[in-house]
Order: sequence, then C-alpha cells, then structure tokens
Amino acid sequence: MKNRLKVLRAERDWSQAELAGRLDVSRQAVNAIETGKHDPSLPLAFRIARLFGMRIEEIFDDGEHHDG
Amino acid sequence: MMESIMTDRKTRQVGPGEARSMARRRRYFTYVAFGGLVGGIAGFATGFFDQGDGNLFAGDWELLRLPPALALVIAGLLLAGFLALPIYSFRLIDDYQREQGLIGYSGGYLGVMAGFPTWAALYGGGFVPAPHAFGIFAIGFVSMCVSYLYARWRL
Repeated sequence: MKNRLKVLRAERDWSQAELAGRLDVSRQAVNAIETGKHDPSLPLAFRIARLFGMRIEEIFDDGEHHDG
Repeated sequence: MMESIMTDRKTRQVGPGEARSMARRRRYFTYVAFGGLVGGIAGFATGFFDQGDGNLFAGDWELLRLPPALALVIAGLLLAGFLALPIYSFRLIDDYQREQGLIGYSGGYLGVMAGFPTWAALYGGGFVPAPHAFGIFAIGFVSMCVSYLYARWRL
C-alpha cells in the first residue's frame, strides 16, 4: 500500500527512530511501512493519522478510486 | 571534518521519540541476553552434570542421568526459555515484528511436520539412522531460525 509517511516525516525533520518512538513501534516497522513492505494494522494506522493530524486516507492509498 | 561530525552527534538533541526508541532497543537486547543466559545455563548444566554417557546430539537418551532436583530446575529453565519468554516477547513487540516471529514459528512447525515422516521413510529405506528426539528438535529449531531470517530479509 502506498503512503506518504516518509514525506510527512521529512517535513517534520524526524528520523525513523523518532517517528518509531512517537508511535511506540520499532524503527524497522517504520522503515517497512515507508517502503510499502508492510501494511500497518488499523490501530497503528489510526495512531499515525492522529500523530500527523490527518485522516487515514490522506496518508495511505490502497489504489482504489472512490466516487464521491 | 570527522571531528565535527562526532561533535554534532554528541551535541544533537535526542527527541522524545528517539529516546523511546533507544529504550525499546535496550529492552529488546536485555530480553535477548536474558533468553540466551537461561538457555546457556540449562544447556551447560545438562552437559556438565550428566552422570551417564548420554549425548544430546547422538540421541542416546537412555544413557542420560541427572540428579532429580537438578533435572527439575533444568526443566523449569527450559519451560521458561522456550515457552514463557517467547509468549512474553509477543507482548513486547509490534505488529511487524510479530508477523516475522509468527512466520518463524510456522516454519519450525512445518519443519517438524514434514521432517519427521520424511526422516522415518528414509530410515525405512535404509538411507539414514532411525529418527530420534533431538534430531526432530534440531529440525524444528533450524527451520524456525531459517524461516525467521527469511522473513526478516523479505518482509
């Protein structure tokens, strides 16, 4: 699943370890999500969205297009 | 140049997230060290205090002799190392690490499920010695490690 995590992290000048600590996950998990190797669980996706003050679908893109 | 980089690293403020990440890594390495210590003590005690001629690798269990009290202690350590600690670790790690761990355990399970009957069939044909408990354990353990490393590499 594509996502904007790396961009959002870079905008805040956070390292992967910094983001991982704020999300209470491992740095490897952040790296795997950023590179699209791992999809976060729903609770983690909510934590990510809350941390960046955005909605989940503004961060993650499952490639499906929805009509209004 | 190198000196300035090192100075930057020393003086750079560690954010709250990085501090939590470092604490997480410390917890992880403490857990690994403790698990290794428990396994090491159990293995050493089994080998050191064995009063018979048993050998784990040869599988001649009937020759293995331990003082009963020590056997109970070792059994407790093994249950802690192979059952309680892994279950506890699953509560410490995140979803990503849990996925890798589950792939590792699945690989170990499949290794035993496929390994034992295959070994037995080959024994029946006279190709290999008879299956024994430590060999089955080793198949499971190696399969688990290989599966886990594969998951770490691919996922």
